[in-house]
Amino acid sequence: MTFLQPWVLAALPLVALPLIIHLINQRRFQTVQWGGMMFLVAAKALSSGYSRLRHWLIMLLRMLAVAGVILAVGRPLSRGWLALAGGGRPDTAIVILDTSPSMQARDPNVADSKLASGRRQLAQSLATLAPAHCLFLPATGRPLEIEPEELIDLPAAAPTAAPTAIADRLQTAYDFIRENAAGTAEIWICSDGRANDWAIDTGGWAGMRDAFAKLPQQVRFQLVAFPAPAVGNLAVRVTDQRVQRRGEARELVVRVQVTRTDVQGTPEPVTIPLKFEIDGVVTVVDLAVTGREAVLADHVLPLGRGAEARGHGRISIPADANPADNEFYFVFDDPPPRVTLVVADDDGVGRLLELAASIPPSKDFESRADRVPRGALATAAWDEAAAVLWQGPLPSGREAELVGAFLARGGQVIFFPPEHPVAESFAGISWRTWVSHEPALAPEQWRTDQDILANTLAGGALPLGELMIRRTCELAGEVVPLASLPGGVPLFARTPTGTGVYCCTTLPTSRDSSLAGEGIVFYAMVQRAIDRGLTPLAGARQLDAGSAAAVQAQGGTAAWTRLVGPDGALSSDAGFVSGVYAAGGRLVAVNRPLAEDTAPVLSDERIDALFRGLSYARISGEPGSGESVVQEIWRAFLIAMLVALVAEGILSLPRSQSASDGRSRSFAPGGRPLEEALA
Amino acid sequence: MFSDRQPRSFLDPAALARLAGVPLVARRPMVGSVSGRHASPHRGSSVEFAEYRKYVPGDDLRRLDWRAFGRSDRFYVKEYEADTNLRLMLVLDTSGSMAYHSIKPAAVPGVQPLSKLDYARRICGGLGYLASQQGDAVGITCAAGGIVRSLPARRSPAHLRLVFDVLDEAAPAGPTRLPDVLHELAETTRQRALVVIVSDLFMPPEDLASAFGHLQFRRHDVAVFQLLDPQELAFDFQRPTRFLDLEGGGTIFADPIEIADRYHQAVAAYLEQLRGIMLETGVDYHRVATDGPAEQVLARFLVGRAAGRSLR
Repeated sequence: MTFLQPWVLAALPLVALPLIIHLINQRRFQTVQWGGMMFLVAAKALSSGYSRLRHWLIMLLRMLAVAGVILAVGRPLSRGWLALAGGGRPDTAIVILDTSPSMQARDPNVADSKLASGRRQLAQSLATLAPAHCLFLPATGRPLEIEPEELIDLPAAAPTAAPTAIADRLQTAYDFIRENAAGTAEIWICSDGRANDWAIDTGGWAGMRDAFAKLPQQVRFQLVAFPAPAVGNLAVRVTDQRVQRRGEARELVVRVQVTRTDVQGTPEPVTIPLKFEIDGVVTVVDLAVTGREAVLADHVLPLGRGAEARGHGRISIPADANPADNEFYFVFDDPPPRVTLVVADDDGVGRLLELAASIPPSKDFESRADRVPRGALATAAWDEAAAVLWQGPLPSGREAELVGAFLARGGQVIFFPPEHPVAESFAGISWRTWVSHEPALAPEQWRTDQDILANTLAGGALPLGELMIRRTCELAGEVVPLASLPGGVPLFARTPTGTGVYCCTTLPTSRDSSLAGEGIVFYAMVQRAIDRGLTPLAGARQLDAGSAAAVQAQGGTAAWTRLVGPDGALSSDAGFVSGVYAAGGRLVAVNRPLAEDTAPVLSDERIDALFRGLSYARISGEPGSGESVVQEIWRAFLIAMLVALVAEGILSLPRSQSASDGRSRSFAPGGRPLEEALA
Repeated sequence: MFSDRQPRSFLDPAALARLAGVPLVARRPMVGSVSGRHASPHRGSSVEFAEYRKYVPGDDLRRLDWRAFGRSDRFYVKEYEADTNLRLMLVLDTSGSMAYHSIKPAAVPGVQPLSKLDYARRICGGLGYLASQQGDAVGITCAAGGIVRSLPARRSPAHLRLVFDVLDEAAPAGPTRLPDVLHELAETTRQRALVVIVSDLFMPPEDLASAFGHLQFRRHDVAVFQLLDPQELAFDFQRPTRFLDLEGGGTIFADPIEIADRYHQAVAAYLEQLRGIMLETGVDYHRVATDGPAEQVLARFLVGRAAGRSLR
């Protein structure tokens, strides 16, 4: 329970006043010489348990009445039964709203989404608390000082398609408090507790918790949680789209995935209509969803015979519990030429790399591999290249600058070890010495869920287990293994920052491995790297809302113009709002990331553990309710005090008035004094 | 007749003069040594006809009813009631509890609160004086833990002065053993007497029942004045109080407000039981509050007895 006037609680010892008065009265006794001791003895013997209970009940009720007055004057606030953290009116209230798509889920019986309910409840609560400063932390930029009521219609608090990085917002709040707030701060977080928003597995939480604990100001955390899942919700997304030619005409081949976001028990099979809209042409396809997920693979949509394939479309499903994941935007274009730069000290290796890079995965793609001598790197076609296959000492000096610029614009580089490793390092890695493996080793484990060694779209795993590795070069530096040999020796790895730097610790020659001999893994790995590198070159680009790429692209030189998307979104938030945008000569589709459809809701215990050691309270938000989660409840205490006083009065009434025995009444003070006794 | 010049605080001459017109009578025949105002179990020579009895040889021929002989041709003797004097035995409770007097103003204006013993002195003194005035013998026994002092009943005025001296000198002290005293009195007082007990009777009523029965068995006329202080009935103390037993029984600490109800219940139950015992044993029972004038109490007592005789 929280009090707006907590200093009044200093008067709580006055609760003992009735007890003290009672004790003082006990001390102020008189002494009387008495004759009728036999009646006193009888009266004391008649002193029943009820009488003693009544005596102490009266005392208790008097104490309760005093406590009721004090607590009522303290202006108590109700924050739900679980919110027991104390505290008074904060000097600064900082609001962190989870505006991710999952917060737009709504209960079938209420009109408002979780986000709308949370915004109203927070606005009401903060209006009740009336802090000196109220700040809202937007997805980007500085905190906004607002009036609590503004939170309901604040554009910066509008729903987005991006996840809300709670940890990042808290870091912003921490920085703000450390720099500005002089008094007590209260951080209000409204979230549905999705794992992708909270990212509790990242290492920053412990440090941030310690940092908050060390702040000189008192900081309290209030979490208004909406963990209830969206019942019967389905999410749709396009996981792959490509343009292919059929004669003179073009076709768009899409792969659609429909996901149930709340699977409880055995889901009932449903058939949903998938509605495609491309250039005003609507196509509806029914899809049966029997399990947790259903896929419409390689669905072909005709595009006509125009000279240009570039365009955009939208897929949607009927309304359900969460409207935010019922549509998905996609853009498409003719694929750009697959240009790869091959830099190799060893000719044999160079030829193998050229071969793997120059064979297109489909006849619809134009593919080319340019062998570039190290001395001619400055003149290479960096702007056209999607990937670089680099065998030899790591780049340094001017070479490093060229490769760094290439990586910065989204290019991909796969480094292969030199025959004679040197001490050069690049992107935090360096080659050490060669290690032979006799007998040859096969990869023991590899990442099948993501990156360039992931399973195929059909779900099949790449045959890495069939590779035979005879020699590897030791790799120094911090890397994320993608495939490992027995003993944890990395075979494939990437840098942890995910900037497009891959490493293969062996060479494709038969002396070192069976990469070229087996072929499939080597080819898939190279082509997937090229695919990744093509993305920034493509005329049409799919981006996850809120992702670094989206934010970076939206903040670039070319202004984004929204072609399709929700009205009312701020142009500065384009990277966070789903839709189709024109950026320069390219099309960009921004959609919610995949994690929004699949991330589970974190348990209360896991979230509570993040705030262990801090002043923290969890309040259950009520979807559809606009009422404040913080309410003044002094009236309840006043009523309790009145009830206590009335009960005390009833208990204090002389029992003789209720006794049926008239003789006893006749002796009572104020009654008929002696006549009856003397009759 | 009353020639005692020593002032007695418990005697009010004016009140006694007013009460002198009402005789003190016994409710049952007394066996006296001289002629008096009280009925005797024997036939005597009063003017009040009692009954006819057949003549037997030896009877005084002057008592023959010749008219009855003329009508029935049989000899009958007329018998008359005999009047005699009585023995008034005063029993004064001088136990510690008789010292109590409340500090409250008296209920009746002009009457200062007295201790129960003071009040008992007034009653005993008044009755003794009135009995002596009509020629009855007066004795007194002071009872506490046992018989403290005792004077047998005598008719002489000098003896009355001794009785008054005993009343003057009586001091409240010690526990109450009134039932034992009454038993002893019943055994030692051979002749019938009017036994007047003045006490607060703060003792178990069942103990008193046997004592009263014993006195009745000895054909004594028993009257009881139970003296109660108003505060002992009202019990309206307002502050926590430590009660010290006047009879030396110890101390009880209590909040009177808290236990008042139960105190009143205990008193009511006691008085109810005592009244029942008085009715069963035929005791002339008077419950007296000490804030009223003793003259009224004596007048009510005397008038009640006189009315009872007239009905006989």
